[in-house]
Amino acid sequence: MSYRMWEVMERANTGPFMEEHEFLYKRFIPKMREVIKKYNIKYDPQHPVPSDDSLADAVWQAAVEFFREVGVYNQDTHRVILFSDEEIKEALYSAPSSYVVGEGKDSRVFGHRKVEDTRPPFCIYSPDITYDEVDHLAACIAYLKEPLLDGLCAPLLEEFMGRKIQAWAPFELGGSLEHAMSLREACRLVGRPGVFLVAVGTAESDAAQISVSDPTWGVRTTDSRLVGSITEMMTNNSMMNKAAHYNMYGCFTGSLTGAIFGGYAGGAEGTAVLETAYHLKGLMVHQCNYQQNFPFHLKHGSNTGREMLWIVSVYSQAIARNTHLVQDSNGFGNAGPGTEMILYEAAAHSLTSTVSGANLWEHAPAHNKYHNRGTPLECRLAAEVGHAVANMGMKREQANEIANRLLAKYEHLIPEAPLGKTFQELYDVRKAIPRPEWLDMYYRVKEELAGMGLEFPF
Amino acid sequence: MRILKRFLLGNKNFTREERKMERVKKLTQALSAGDQAECVTLAKELLAEGADLDAVIKEMTNEMREVGKRFETFEIFLPEMMMAAEAMMAVMDVFGPHLVEGSGVASRGTVLIGAPRGDMHEIGKNIVKLMLKANGFQIIDLGPNVDPLEFIKRAEEAKADVIAISTLMTTTMPGATQVIQLLNDKGIRDKYKVIVGGAPTNPDWAKQIGADGWAEDASKATELVEKLLGVN
Repeated sequence: MSYRMWEVMERANTGPFMEEHEFLYKRFIPKMREVIKKYNIKYDPQHPVPSDDSLADAVWQAAVEFFREVGVYNQDTHRVILFSDEEIKEALYSAPSSYVVGEGKDSRVFGHRKVEDTRPPFCIYSPDITYDEVDHLAACIAYLKEPLLDGLCAPLLEEFMGRKIQAWAPFELGGSLEHAMSLREACRLVGRPGVFLVAVGTAESDAAQISVSDPTWGVRTTDSRLVGSITEMMTNNSMMNKAAHYNMYGCFTGSLTGAIFGGYAGGAEGTAVLETAYHLKGLMVHQCNYQQNFPFHLKHGSNTGREMLWIVSVYSQAIARNTHLVQDSNGFGNAGPGTEMILYEAAAHSLTSTVSGANLWEHAPAHNKYHNRGTPLECRLAAEVGHAVANMGMKREQANEIANRLLAKYEHLIPEAPLGKTFQELYDVRKAIPRPEWLDMYYRVKEELAGMGLEFPF
Repeated sequence: MRILKRFLLGNKNFTREERKMERVKKLTQALSAGDQAECVTLAKELLAEGADLDAVIKEMTNEMREVGKRFETFEIFLPEMMMAAEAMMAVMDVFGPHLVEGSGVASRGTVLIGAPRGDMHEIGKNIVKLMLKANGFQIIDLGPNVDPLEFIKRAEEAKADVIAISTLMTTTMPGATQVIQLLNDKGIRDKYKVIVGGAPTNPDWAKQIGADGWAEDASKATELVEKLLGVN
């Protein structure tokens, strides 16, 4: 709802004053407990992909009530931004259900999907992790070579000219420009100059993000940027600056939010409600065009475990059934690349998300914390699973059965998941193609998935 | 209710000591349930009865450790642990003015904690803070986005034993390095134990920047502080 951007910004200065502690203890936590009870939301471990429409609808109703009553806290002004029921309905009604993103021959439609939708998911690839500066271009090229890629959120940089990048400091500006330029060059070299980019993840600060807005070498208006969220239901002036800049520059804005299982929202039920409520926060506070969801487990930093798949499925269904908003589902695995486990995890996350009505943002391996540990191949498998699920019109019941079979293969390994290998060990970096042993493992797992009932298009 | 208690206790009259024990039991139960109002009521009653506050606090600390363990296994979640910690603090507010100097409930050490400049994420830091508090450490929380020099100035003021730095992003990890560099430059590195943690961090990095320790979660952070300070 960029039409009311400045009025919303003003509420960050004029809303009710509250200490952050009070917001969490007296507002957030009690209201979350109240709506879970009121709407009788219950986690069912036997159904990581539930088929109960009434559950999805109850989560939606709980999320709307939670968002309306709790609001969003601005840490800089110590005030709560609130919206009326009418404003929520207006924003939901007036939000577009799809966007044409990217440029020229590389442009695509990024749109809302329904539960059990037969339209393939929009597939954004992303390792969500840092790479060696010297290999950044090659890593970007390797991702851009992927056939089912509709958009790319590229590997990140940790160093600029050999120096550590620090947020809100000059090397961040340098690193962010290097990231943008290297990515743009990679797009040209692969022959996909107009591909949709979500960039640049290296830029954490508002200043660094603003510095890469450039139609020639940097982020274009046909690309996207993200506004993150501070845990939980909070924002700050830096986030608001980013939102304002993106809207005025004219690019697509994604709302990046990760409700934490085990955190302030509590267990699976609260995490699902919170992630659903984040769609409203993104739409109304940061004027976002789509929602990028990455709920994660507090201990493991991943979302492929049993309770996490349930959360992913439930909020995706809640949004798919009750709105026409555009959402994508960001996978975070426990194992590293070069292992069968990460392939099972990516498949389970993609299957669950796709059948539940989400688009895909795949896939961050190795608890999203190990430098260079991400390759395009686990993303490829996730995208192929997503296309298979949609093309064959898979129902939630079948997806649940396959998810349970996949979970049986890896859920016991989650606490001690293997870290696998690095991009450099698994790819021929100069050619930007996977090495045979990694490719063989991918084919073996893909065949195994086909045996479980997934009908791959190729 | 009283008849039932008598039945359970073999129909004998409650002694004053038994009443106190009953109340302490109720207090630890209320603490575990995060019932702040009930905790305060019971604390006031125990105070009026002249209970041994050191012993009561010891029971509560043990109970908080159990709460921490239940959180570690996700038997309970963060809100339940937060409510229990709040209830504990409320009881300490009641007891505080009545605790004598040199009391056995002295802090086991002072930990100054914060997230470095540019890092606005606090949940990990807050969980570590709660676990340390629950285990009897005094905490000074500087919050998010802390200037490296501020860590040191506040540690000096508070005579802290440990500086704990929590970071969620690779681009804010250099903030922890800067704190250690400044401690070295000021010639006071040996005065403090510096520990680091957070999602993108690992033990190799901690060693590389010269930290005294790294912990992967709040429970391990508590064990690390106990080990570094030599307290059990």
